[in-house]
Amino acid sequence: MRPSIVWTVLRREWYETVRNRLLMSTILVPPLLLTVAPILLAGMVGSGILPPELARQVLDQRPEWSTFTPGELAGAFAVQQFLVFFLLMPAYIPLSIATFSIIGEKQARSLEPVLAAPIRTSELLAGKAIAALVPGVLAGWATYAIFVALASLVYGPALFGVVTDPSWLAGVFLLGPVVGLSSVVAGVIVSARVNDPRVAQQIGGVVIVPVIGLVLLQATGTLLVGPAGYLLLSAAVLAVSVIGLRIGVRLFDREAILTRWR
Amino acid sequence: MDAADPAATDLALTADRLGRSFDDRWAVRHISFAVQRGEVVGLLGPNGAGKTTTVRMLAALIRPTEGTAAVDGFDVIREPDAVRARVGILTETPGLYDKLSAAANLDFFGRLYGLDAGLRAERIEHYLRSFSLWDRRDDVAGTFSKGMKQKLAIARALLHDPSVVFLDEPTAALDPEAAFIVREAIETLRRAGRTIVLATHNLDEADRLCDRIAFIRGGLLRIDSPAALRGAVGGASLTVRMRDGVSAEAVSAVRGVPGVRAAEPSDGVLHVGTDDPEAVAPAVVRALVSSGADIVELRPERPSLERIYFDVMGVSPRADEAVGGEEP
Repeated sequence: MRPSIVWTVLRREWYETVRNRLLMSTILVPPLLLTVAPILLAGMVGSGILPPELARQVLDQRPEWSTFTPGELAGAFAVQQFLVFFLLMPAYIPLSIATFSIIGEKQARSLEPVLAAPIRTSELLAGKAIAALVPGVLAGWATYAIFVALASLVYGPALFGVVTDPSWLAGVFLLGPVVGLSSVVAGVIVSARVNDPRVAQQIGGVVIVPVIGLVLLQATGTLLVGPAGYLLLSAAVLAVSVIGLRIGVRLFDREAILTRWR
Repeated sequence: MDAADPAATDLALTADRLGRSFDDRWAVRHISFAVQRGEVVGLLGPNGAGKTTTVRMLAALIRPTEGTAAVDGFDVIREPDAVRARVGILTETPGLYDKLSAAANLDFFGRLYGLDAGLRAERIEHYLRSFSLWDRRDDVAGTFSKGMKQKLAIARALLHDPSVVFLDEPTAALDPEAAFIVREAIETLRRAGRTIVLATHNLDEADRLCDRIAFIRGGLLRIDSPAALRGAVGGASLTVRMRDGVSAEAVSAVRGVPGVRAAEPSDGVLHVGTDDPEAVAPAVVRALVSSGADIVELRPERPSLERIYFDVMGVSPRADEAVGGEEP
């Protein structure tokens, strides 16, 4: 694989992405909302405390929070709900970019001249995949950094420890990118069969469902996953993504694109 | 052959019993021909005849199911990357990136073909100027007319200085003005000595631009120069109009000219049947003048490519046959 060719494809993808207003709004609006959400939540929670029954349940599941004041406990419980968004961002942004990119090329019939050039399918696919994956992952990480800062500011230094505990770090920095990769793979596979980016996103969005379910279980304390659990989970998602990638590469075959993509 | 020196052979392209099937159905087969450097060869056939499939096989975009082909001696099956580096292709649709400027579109492809920055800039300027697009170089391709887009796509196909340029239906779906602009661009390439394979179902375009024409319908039916095709079909003639109409003396005089097969008056003009109108015309003129006729106009008539097309394809242009027979 020649890095210069991958970079050429990647540059063009990003150039077109930033000129696509619909796509850019899809990429930028949710992270912006997520950075202000903790502040809004803080306003709603105010100096309130959790109902005694709920507080007891939370402390049963999170004994390490027993040193928190009632206000800090309410804040910790509130911010815990946000982890899901930092996994959703690296999932839906790459999915949006990948589907727009592939289906856009399908509709413009612009892939045939590219495939007529001496470019390998792996180079083309790598350029597209990286171009889709990187913005989602970086957006997730950047928003997380702002979120940590705001959460600490609003709820106090005790909450800093909550949102930077090993589970959060493993979720954001390990599972997030892997979920992003699975999302790109889903985008490639679905885009090969569908001609509308929105339909592709809806179908490809299925990959996000297990992630949401898992993090919701985590947030409600039904199923607590520690750093080791996230590591195992990331490995499993990575394995599924690699299998999906092989399917995607086969669907992205030169001949299939030229003779079957309509 | 693993590699070849392009200068070592006059053949830019060879195809030998090339064929391709999709799901057990042959799109095209038995395609064998060679293209000399600087030659323009037309692939002529109806929609679905296999022209695009043939072009794609020759450009190493899809693998042949049977047979082989080579560009500059590089095999399309064993050395597809080398073939792709040596061909330029204008696909059925321009396939441009609408949000990129004309120059950025070319720059992207220049990078894919591995041209260094200096050469890229030089070639981009050269081709944009050649196709009168230089003043619009910074405008996004999405704002271009169909003709301009097609010219930009041709510039893209030429950017890496390919040995063979494939033009697949370059004027299809263009209005007459845009089609004219594109044909002029192709004519410029032809004059520059480019080796071109032109897939089209436009008979006039093939007649005007091609040194040889290959008739394709599921396979190669015939390949020859337009003149040879006309000669093989026969039916050439001279049409003569005289000031006082066609006299019996004039008809008699012309019938005695060597090379004249027939001479018949019709609708006030004299139709002279011959295999070689240009060769017999001077003798016909002399015979008519000696018979006392005043010649107003003499016009050689050759069979149209349309007639040759129907002859080679073995189909009738009659509308009633085209729809499957006469009405009951």
